[in-house]
Amino acid sequence: MRLALRDPHTWLVILAGGLLGLSGVWLMVLGNPQNSGICVSCFLENSAGALGLHDNARMQYLRPELIGFVLGSTLAAALFREFSSRGGSAPLPRLLSGVFLIVGCSVFIGCPIKLFLRLAAGDLTTLTGLAGLAGGVWLGLKGLAVGVHLGSPVKQRGGSGFWTPLLFLVLLVFLLARPGFVIFSERGSAAEAAPVLIALLVGLILGAIAQRTRFCITGSLRDLFIMGTRAQLFWGFLAFVLIAFAASWATGNFKPGFYGQPGAHLDLLWSFLGMLLVGSVSVLIGGCPFRQLIKAGEGDADAGLVVVGMLVGAGLVQSWQIAGTAAGVSVYGKVAVVAGLAFFLLNLLLFRERSAS
Amino acid sequence: MLKDRFDILLGGLLLACAALIVGLLLGGGSQASQRDLAVDKALEQEIAYQAKVSFLERLYAPVSELRTAGQNEAALLKLDELSRRYPDEAHGELLRGEILLQLQAIPEATAHLARAVRMNGDYVDQHSPLSRRDLFEQLLGEQLTVIKSRAKKNPSATALQAALKDLYYLQGRLAGGCE
Repeated sequence: MRLALRDPHTWLVILAGGLLGLSGVWLMVLGNPQNSGICVSCFLENSAGALGLHDNARMQYLRPELIGFVLGSTLAAALFREFSSRGGSAPLPRLLSGVFLIVGCSVFIGCPIKLFLRLAAGDLTTLTGLAGLAGGVWLGLKGLAVGVHLGSPVKQRGGSGFWTPLLFLVLLVFLLARPGFVIFSERGSAAEAAPVLIALLVGLILGAIAQRTRFCITGSLRDLFIMGTRAQLFWGFLAFVLIAFAASWATGNFKPGFYGQPGAHLDLLWSFLGMLLVGSVSVLIGGCPFRQLIKAGEGDADAGLVVVGMLVGAGLVQSWQIAGTAAGVSVYGKVAVVAGLAFFLLNLLLFRERSAS
Repeated sequence: MLKDRFDILLGGLLLACAALIVGLLLGGGSQASQRDLAVDKALEQEIAYQAKVSFLERLYAPVSELRTAGQNEAALLKLDELSRRYPDEAHGELLRGEILLQLQAIPEATAHLARAVRMNGDYVDQHSPLSRRDLFEQLLGEQLTVIKSRAKKNPSATALQAALKDLYYLQGRLAGGCE
């Protein structure tokens, strides 16, 4: 079997990847933090701060891109009649998976999308993170291969899939009306932001196209391991990386090296382990943090729980000093990553279906 | 969806709730009493931050006066005295780094400046009244290559290796990113 080049969906996936890479660099040029044009975990930490879930005054901003991802996915799913309320499989493990996804991302300083945006900008400290992510996806796949699964979401009555889009609709109202209890940082990285309407529009477009294509970073790696280069997602992923690299280079943001990189640290082992956690948990719950937002937008209440877990985790990693900084990873961060890996291994044990022999 | 009178009643109540929320938000927000009760957390944060900046200026005013008078050693002694009262205050670290830099004690100055930034990221922030971006940029421009080459020639000199690590840290913080 070869890559279906005549299938329009293949080109849509490639377009999705290319747009993500381009937007990641463009939003940075427009004002988002350096190498963080798009970062689901950083944006969740910002949004958690804006909602008062942590008190780091430099990390509080309701990021419009996140709202756009979810609502764009909802609109696309509704338009193409794919919105369906589903869920009900292993809710609490999924919620905790969301927390640990953000633990892994925050220790590395960035989600899988940001990993590649950083790499495309020449940040060579991400190489161990990349190895960790690939290793995590491989580990997760091994788990699936021996019969581990959290269960598939089933169609649910009661419209449970509406709640995540509704939550993000409320966040959109907060973003536009700016009530006094929502905090917007005046300094620090959260004060660096692309214009609200542009960021929102980019989020909506990316959310919609990601819903149509099922684009996912860890999903691309998973498909690459399973199907090789004939996997459509892999080509979308390749377009994402190549376009991000070209855009970084064209905008003068490509600065290769290990030292002095923005939002990076040299605790390479912990970058590896943080991303190992993200890769493995992502495979177990069926997608990277970005994909969870998209699935939640199209009515998947299980992904909605992961999103809630990620929001809680985003508050915790800042409040408990788990998040990595340019100075490195704190002991709390290291403990949290190991606890996350233990959580993953425990789930492999508990959710494994063993054939009676 | 609305199949019987109970459904219709629920639908009506839902509409009433939605109308009430909109009414409260639009009408209540403009009332003076509501404004008094409203919590503007951003404003509270800003006031607390400005108060902190003023407090630091007052606290370290004697140090600044001694530096202006050219008495850097006396300023360091004053900082020692203040650091006993406020051992984990980043501003003291920053001032100590600045003085040591003036005295050309580069590795020691770099250590204190990096420690100050680790404790308070505002020193590398363009928008902060505490910003010292220019100082850090100058330090990196003048010293990074020098320290790098000295550290390469003396791999066993731990002070130089530590200074190089601190300079890389400052370089990374100046480059920006999300933290």
